[in-house]
Amino acid sequence: MYREAFLAALTVFVCYGGNWLFGQTMIERPLVVGCIAGIIFGDMRAGIIMGASLEAIFMGAVDIGGALSAEPVTATVLATTFSIVLNVNEKAALALAVPIGVLAAFISMFMKNVVMNLFAPLVDKYAKDNNPRAMAIMHYSMWFINYFVFSLITFFSVLEGAKPVQHMINSIPDNLMAGLSATGGLLPAVGFAILMRMLWSKKLAPYFFLGFIMVAYLNLPSVAVAALGIILVLVISFKDKQLLDMENKQKELEKRPVAAAGTGASNNETAEEQEEEDFFS
Amino acid sequence: MKLNENISKEDRKMLNGIFWRSFTVFASRAGATKAHAPGFIYSITPALNRYYKDDPEGRREAMMRHTTWYNITQNVGTFVMGLVASMEKKNAQEKDFDAESIVALKTSLMGPLSGIGDSIFWGVIRVIAAGVGISLAAQGSILGPILFLLIYNIPSILTRYYLTYMGFSLGSSFIEKIYANGSMKILNKAASTLGLLMIGSMTASMVKFESKLSVPIAGGKPILIQTYLDQLFKGLIPLSITLLCYWLLSKKVNVNWILLGVLVLAIILGLLGVV
Repeated sequence: MYREAFLAALTVFVCYGGNWLFGQTMIERPLVVGCIAGIIFGDMRAGIIMGASLEAIFMGAVDIGGALSAEPVTATVLATTFSIVLNVNEKAALALAVPIGVLAAFISMFMKNVVMNLFAPLVDKYAKDNNPRAMAIMHYSMWFINYFVFSLITFFSVLEGAKPVQHMINSIPDNLMAGLSATGGLLPAVGFAILMRMLWSKKLAPYFFLGFIMVAYLNLPSVAVAALGIILVLVISFKDKQLLDMENKQKELEKRPVAAAGTGASNNETAEEQEEEDFFS
Repeated sequence: MKLNENISKEDRKMLNGIFWRSFTVFASRAGATKAHAPGFIYSITPALNRYYKDDPEGRREAMMRHTTWYNITQNVGTFVMGLVASMEKKNAQEKDFDAESIVALKTSLMGPLSGIGDSIFWGVIRVIAAGVGISLAAQGSILGPILFLLIYNIPSILTRYYLTYMGFSLGSSFIEKIYANGSMKILNKAASTLGLLMIGSMTASMVKFESKLSVPIAGGKPILIQTYLDQLFKGLIPLSITLLCYWLLSKKVNVNWILLGVLVLAIILGLLGVV
């Protein structure tokens, strides 16, 4: 188990740490993590499929402003490891992933916001010393310490947790298993709700239902929905831009009479003359 | 874009330095009070080194003023880095420049820029990328993760690059202008519309519920409850549960409680033999 534990921890370090070292390039998302964990444990296909299911569940788990609801990397790596190495039923592994993700998010926030506070005085010190070199070294050391400590969680979970988890899953009765499987189907709802919070407004709500019907009844694939969506948005934006231009023009016109009240009469005259000239030409 | 026409060769080199360093801006997090200040200082170091070359005291002061809390959606934050670089340049050249205004402007831009950045990149592009990726990956295809990474990262990295230059050359007046003439509103509306459409479509394809309950009929085949539900409205239960979660969130219920609630609900339904 040492080998598996080490490999799982390494995957967490590379994907989670790497994501934040290389500009949040999304290599921490379950789609990618599942694929990498699958390759490492010798069943890429299973890893990719696991990643697809977990991506849906953790869709709304986004690190916005440093407030994380569930941490997808540890969850995906552990679920994939359990599923491929221990032959745990895929649905049960998915259900396990959620509590793991919530717990891991808690530990991650504790590390980043509380433990890493130790370094805050050093930031001030190196600035005062006018020492960008020390600042850079500290910047990278903090990265290493945080993600190294964090990947230890996975190491010990696989090492110590594998046997109890296997034992526990073997003793789950059928109807509880059905319930656990159902969680995989219902949990994405929470993720989508979190995303909706970001974008929802009463006027735009119909588009949510339009998207739902496009798939539920018309069975359109997601590429088609995205393409139609882009066309729709472009058409609406052109109309909006037209309206906006008209509004801005109107505002300008409303301002003008006040500024040029005295010259109003002569303006009218010239406009009429202009029209006549246009007519005859 | 013709953004770098009026930028000197040395400045361009410096901006590229900021662009590359900005990838690591969130690598470290110095607690809740400073957040990503070290990453920000590290990213703008090329600018400080360039403009305070012969002025160690000036560079020291500049570093000290940027030790305050920093957090902007990272691929949009380069706009502020470019902007700060242009202001530090002015500060180094003009004796009576108000250095405090640099931090004030930086801080005031954090909210609006993160708002736009989060909704466009997290709410729309990532959702589209994941939607395409999941549908391929669910069949076990490696194209799923690959396309997911490409669809998200190409626009994200291009934005990061161009905004570094835009921040430097356009400055603060640009943001004020697009807010004032309303272009920002159109952009926001377009992003939200597309995002909601995608989220709606993914609710239909990914939130799943199927009931095993059936009504026994004397002498005939039992009728599945699910068939009735589908006739009423396809995906009625997934849609209602998603809307319920949204409603709970808008009532400021903690996300983790909702997650736990859904988990418990599904398990209870399983124990009762409904699913």
